[in-house]
Amino acid sequence: MGLKEKILTKSIYAFHLSSGSCNNCDIEILDCLTPRYDIERFGIVLVGSVKHADVLFCTGSANRLCIPRIKKLYEMMPKPGFVVAWGACGSSRGMFKDSYNTGLPLDEIIPVDLYIPGCPPKPEAVIAGLIKLTDKINGKIRR
Amino acid sequence: MTIDDYLKRISDRFATRVLKSRKNNGNRAYVDIYPKDIIEFAKFLFKDLGLRFNIASAVDDFDGIEILYHFSDDRLGTVISIRAILKEKNDPHIDTITGVTSAAWWIEREIHELFGVEFDGNSDLRPLLLPDDWPKGVYPLRKNFVVPKRDSRKT
Amino acid sequence: MLSRRITNGRGSRSCLVKDSSVTVTVEKPHVAVTDRRNGHRNLNRNQAERHRMHMKPLEYIFLFLIYPGFLFSATMGLLVGWVDRKVTARLQWRVGPPWYQNFIDVAKLLLYKETLIPKGASRAVFLGMPALCLSGATLASTIVLVVTGEPDKGFIGDIIVIAYLLMIPSLALMLGGFSSANPLASLGASREMKLMLSYELPFILSLIVPVIKSGGAIRLGDIIIKQQNSAPFITSASGAISFLVMLLCFQAKLGHIPFDMAEAETEIISGPAIDYSGRALGMFKLAKAVLVFAAPVFIMSLFLGGIRFNSDYILTGVLEYIMILVLMIVIKNTNPRIRIDQAMRFFWGPVSGLSLISVILAYLGH
Repeated sequence: MGLKEKILTKSIYAFHLSSGSCNNCDIEILDCLTPRYDIERFGIVLVGSVKHADVLFCTGSANRLCIPRIKKLYEMMPKPGFVVAWGACGSSRGMFKDSYNTGLPLDEIIPVDLYIPGCPPKPEAVIAGLIKLTDKINGKIRR
Repeated sequence: MTIDDYLKRISDRFATRVLKSRKNNGNRAYVDIYPKDIIEFAKFLFKDLGLRFNIASAVDDFDGIEILYHFSDDRLGTVISIRAILKEKNDPHIDTITGVTSAAWWIEREIHELFGVEFDGNSDLRPLLLPDDWPKGVYPLRKNFVVPKRDSRKT
Repeated sequence: MLSRRITNGRGSRSCLVKDSSVTVTVEKPHVAVTDRRNGHRNLNRNQAERHRMHMKPLEYIFLFLIYPGFLFSATMGLLVGWVDRKVTARLQWRVGPPWYQNFIDVAKLLLYKETLIPKGASRAVFLGMPALCLSGATLASTIVLVVTGEPDKGFIGDIIVIAYLLMIPSLALMLGGFSSANPLASLGASREMKLMLSYELPFILSLIVPVIKSGGAIRLGDIIIKQQNSAPFITSASGAISFLVMLLCFQAKLGHIPFDMAEAETEIISGPAIDYSGRALGMFKLAKAVLVFAAPVFIMSLFLGGIRFNSDYILTGVLEYIMILVLMIVIKNTNPRIRIDQAMRFFWGPVSGLSLISVILAYLGH
């Protein structure tokens, strides 16, 4: 684990990108920052601008109007940056798979690094997923 | 005024033009009408009874396309829904109620683009929610709409 | 009536009294200054003045970059920022980040993230403003810390220089926001501008009070020495009022709640800094850290007598620093964010009135 990986995994600025979600996963993001689970002790804070972000928390199944905008936002995030797909909607569009308005699943629009299943995922699952993301970062950059 | 008073006033005013009037539970009522009378009903409920135009909803049903206009009294929580069934599914027409209340502009746009219902007199029926490259004449919420099958292994 | 000027070999200034029997000389006590660089000879008064002001350039660079300039101020400032975050977390019954969190944040921004420049932005201003912000903040912090440590090392008018230098970080943030070609950044920058217009008046007025109370000295060193010889200025009525006013003005200058509407995070998405990323953003954060460290030291040296580095008083100095820091953090955590027009009314109304009263009280001698 070199210095770069250590620094990138200990300080994560997260940007919340919601594209057509039912807002349950959005509430769960805020839930993780409450005193009971408190992911700020891992160095994760929510930032307002995508240009300050290291990680995109993508909730919601991407509707057709959002697809070019999601791509633009992913390009606006300064690299090295990662994408976390939250919930069933982010992983594969969930029950909206056959809907007229969800054209593509999220991982065919932007490269996704972590899937956290659940509808909505429990904060414990989110924390376990974020630990796996840090493991992936340590392994990924070394290559 | 309770919901019974509202229904009594409606049936007093429009005697035979109310096809059916049904109270669902203590707070909701459905009033069936002919589609050609919608402007008069809307004007009566909005201006004379003082109800708020909440939203309109539409369903592609067996008899035709059924549009419900929901009017509500917010102090008591009562909702009176006016049901108009458009029988020709190929070319459904109904008068617009944007002259009565300007709250109807956007919901008529949405019903138009998702069901294909023509609102006569509404000059602004641009698509609201669908993307710009959606093909014209394809109405997603109709029962004969088929989501195109896609092999997700291809991009 | 006869009067004579009495001189001695080393030069003196004497005042002449009309009664010929007594002639009083008033002179500054002249401590012998040896020039240790050129042969260890004693210097006379003029030579001593020039000798003191001529430090080597290397010494200046060391002061500016290492101690107590950039490296020291930035490190302590990031630690102070961590104290802020930890206390906030504790007040919200959370655990909070570990002590090295701010260092890792800044290191990540400076070393590993790319800097993106928006399309219509003017490149020179966009990239130059973080550097200007950091250098202004560091210079102000250096002067404040050097003079607080050794009160003799200042120069005449250094309070005015510090007041000007403390304006530069806000100006740089503002200009960076305007050059970002982003409407939200312009909105944040215009709020910052309006806030500056409102808090600068009470700031300068409350800066005048220690100047008046130390007999018209515009050297920070003289203000500190005067307080160390007599009581700290906060024990007087005008000193206490202007201490409070200066605390509020520094809350606005540092962009802390309740005056952080310029960088309102949830409303206008970080305001002027919205389009900054990577190294430029890291420099803005470092500048803020330096200012957060230097601000309580400046307030202490104006109103509480500075820090005396002999053994008894250094603990009191640290405790006073922590007390001012805790006051700022508590104000930060117990207040909501106010609107820009409320802030302008607040600073131009009650706060300016209070500072005017304190100036008048100081002039009358209280």
